[in-house]
Amino acid sequence: MSSFFFYIFAIILVLASLAVVLARNPLYNVLSLVVVIFALSSLFMILEAFFVGIILSLVYAGAVLVFFLFVVMCLNLSTPTLTTVQQNRFQLLGWLAGLMLLAEFFLATKAFLAAQAMQPVSEIRGTIEAIGKILFADYLLPFELTSLLLLIAIFGIVSLAKGALKTQ
Amino acid sequence: MVNPLLAWTALFAPLAACVIITLFFLRSKTPSALIAIAGILTSFVCTVLLFLQIFHTHPAVELQQSFAWIHTSTLTIDFGVLINPLAIMMLMVVTGVGSAIFIYSKGYMAEDPSMPRFFAYLSLFAFSMIGIVLSNNFIQLFIFWELVGLSSYLLIGFWYAKPSAADAGVKAFVVNRVADFGFLCGIILLWSVSGVGGERTFLFTDLAGTIPGLENSQLLSTIALLIFCGVVGKSAQVPLHVWLVDAMEGPTPVSALIHAATMVAAGIYLLARTFFLFEPLTAVLTVIAYIGAITAFLAATLAIAENDIKRILAYSTLSQLGLMVMALGLAGPLQGMYHLTTHAFFKALLFLGAGSVIYALHHEQNIWKMQGLLKQMPVTGWTFLIGTLALCGIFPLSGFWSKDEILALAAEHNTVLYWAGTLTSCLTAFYMGRLFWTAFGGKDDHGHAHESPAVMTIPLIFLAILSIMGGLIGIPHFIYPEAAHPELNMPVAMISSGAAILGLVVSYLIYGKRPSRDPLETKLGFIYPVLKNKYYFDTVYGWYVDRVQQGVAITFAWFEEVFIVRFGVHGLTGAAKATGNALRQLQTGLVQFYALVFVLGVVYLFFVMVTRL
Amino acid sequence: MIGLGHYILLSGILFSIGVVGVITSRSVLKILLSLELLLAASNLSFVAFSKFNGDYTGQLIVFFVILVAAAEVAIGLAIVVLMFRHFSTIQADELKDMKW
Repeated sequence: MSSFFFYIFAIILVLASLAVVLARNPLYNVLSLVVVIFALSSLFMILEAFFVGIILSLVYAGAVLVFFLFVVMCLNLSTPTLTTVQQNRFQLLGWLAGLMLLAEFFLATKAFLAAQAMQPVSEIRGTIEAIGKILFADYLLPFELTSLLLLIAIFGIVSLAKGALKTQ
Repeated sequence: MVNPLLAWTALFAPLAACVIITLFFLRSKTPSALIAIAGILTSFVCTVLLFLQIFHTHPAVELQQSFAWIHTSTLTIDFGVLINPLAIMMLMVVTGVGSAIFIYSKGYMAEDPSMPRFFAYLSLFAFSMIGIVLSNNFIQLFIFWELVGLSSYLLIGFWYAKPSAADAGVKAFVVNRVADFGFLCGIILLWSVSGVGGERTFLFTDLAGTIPGLENSQLLSTIALLIFCGVVGKSAQVPLHVWLVDAMEGPTPVSALIHAATMVAAGIYLLARTFFLFEPLTAVLTVIAYIGAITAFLAATLAIAENDIKRILAYSTLSQLGLMVMALGLAGPLQGMYHLTTHAFFKALLFLGAGSVIYALHHEQNIWKMQGLLKQMPVTGWTFLIGTLALCGIFPLSGFWSKDEILALAAEHNTVLYWAGTLTSCLTAFYMGRLFWTAFGGKDDHGHAHESPAVMTIPLIFLAILSIMGGLIGIPHFIYPEAAHPELNMPVAMISSGAAILGLVVSYLIYGKRPSRDPLETKLGFIYPVLKNKYYFDTVYGWYVDRVQQGVAITFAWFEEVFIVRFGVHGLTGAAKATGNALRQLQTGLVQFYALVFVLGVVYLFFVMVTRL
Repeated sequence: MIGLGHYILLSGILFSIGVVGVITSRSVLKILLSLELLLAASNLSFVAFSKFNGDYTGQLIVFFVILVAAAEVAIGLAIVVLMFRHFSTIQADELKDMKW
């Protein structure tokens, strides 16, 4: 059963990510990324990583991508003049690089796919209690540091915006 | 007892004088002259004291004191002094005649604003010459040899603003360079056979012990000839004689001291000092003797066609040097050194006398422009006459005794050389007579020449006395006390005196009436231009330098320009620039380009890792 | 059965698409979005490893990654806004002052 869901969400994921890259209208790019996040979240649920799955949706889709949408709307980036852009000069090389990388991934995971050696460990269920226990015990320092990081990020943004305000 | 400290003082006093003058007194004339004179007199006094210490000691004293200057496991070079009668005699000549000339220079250079520089150079020369005399090993001798060459260059080109003087200085230096190259090769070869490994030595005393025992006479002959090369340069033998005549561009005291009495005699001294090397090599000695004879004869013929008083005396010096070299080639270091000593006396006298004349006539040097000087400048004139007679070898002046001994030696060993020597003596008397009658004879219609000041005439008198007494004070016995003193060879004495008198008489017949022009110009026909052009030696050398040497130099310059500069230097810079230009294209400023390069790198790395699996 | 290999391959596909996006995007906004894709890909692989290796560390790393990604996007978008104000366009080619 879970493999069926895996494939569904995997296909949605891939298609949506292609849309992120290939769509013309920036609005569609952002919205496609939202779909990617949701599909990813679903995959996380399949892997029983409940906490991170929810966090992904809440923070990423809920805050970050909304921020993206803000910017797109604010700057009127979806207007026609801005959507008709010329081709970037690294098209060919970029696609080539991507394809080579993909090929290498295939090569790398060939053995994995064939052997099916590894089995998921069912005791690992990323519930809030489990994550919370480890987070506040072993990983307390990184936790505090990241909160500091967020503070600094806020400072940075405010000063950047202020500078822009002044020039207006 | 011999005190070596006297030798060290004699060596360094003139150097101290030179340094003091250069540092403090280059603008002050009188103090610089007095300091220089003090320096050389100090050396003279030390030499006299040394002389008294070794006088009449039996067996002959040989004292050496040296310090290891460079000392490694395979090479030792010393710095030291070797005192023996030969060295002391030479030192007496150098410092004695030198002191006279220093004092004379104070008068001669009185009007020249660069007088302090002159005395500084002269003191440097004195230091270098004393260094040659006292050195106890080949390397030290070579160093001082080169220093003497440097002093000579500085002094010949003293009036450097005059192109002919500057050129003459360069010519002297370059010709000596050629000779010294051979000399140095000889020294190094000699060292290499003087022992094995750490045993090898440059010291004269040690070499005197080891060299005679060696078997390889071909190698030793080569070494001897190479060392003789240095003598050929320094003592101006054919074919490297061309520099000495042009060296007369320097001030007259310089000509007297360096190019008559001392520096040019250094070659002879070297041969005498290292005679142990030459003694067994009869073939080399023959070569040496013939070169000496050729030089003597050649120079005498050239003197006949000269009209400049100093150049005549220069050729006369060349001729006498040739005789000294010939004496050494005939295995007679005693005779050679004897003649060197007496020659120093009367040649210095002649040059100083010429200088007195030149000074009185405001730098006129052509003998045909001089007349009746004997009456106008009596002291100069009479002392000059004494010098002339001594040079011609008239009994009982010093020149007679020393020249006679050489001719007697030649008569015993080699008839060809004997007749060459005698003919040279005849020619010597002829051209000296020519000089004397033309410059000092005749009527004095001008009357501007006044006798020179005492500071110049007193040294003349001093040297005249030495020229007269030189033969009677037993010089050869002092230098080589163990040698058997040769008896007076009557036939030789008679013939040589006769030749000299013949020369004087012929010159009186032609020049005694003081004709207004030189009759020889027309009488000698085609020979005269050859003599005037100095047997075309200068022409040939000039051609060689202009064509051959410059050609080689131009080829090398071309090679350097194309290969080293264009391909090498500019090539490297061009390559660096090209690389820089190429790499610069990577800096496009576009972030996505950089990201692309990243990714390509990652792809490659990933590939390496995946295929390793 | 869905094994670890499937998840890793999926992550790889996502990553490749993200790389293509970064290199070939004309506008800076799209580059940022593609960067998000790259991060998502690595998140997936971390969680997959966490599940299959029996270790919670992977999920915790994902937690921190999300946090930091949020901060990074915020600042990145502030810069995009500034850029738009300065150049009146968000084409990546405008930023070429560092060209030789």
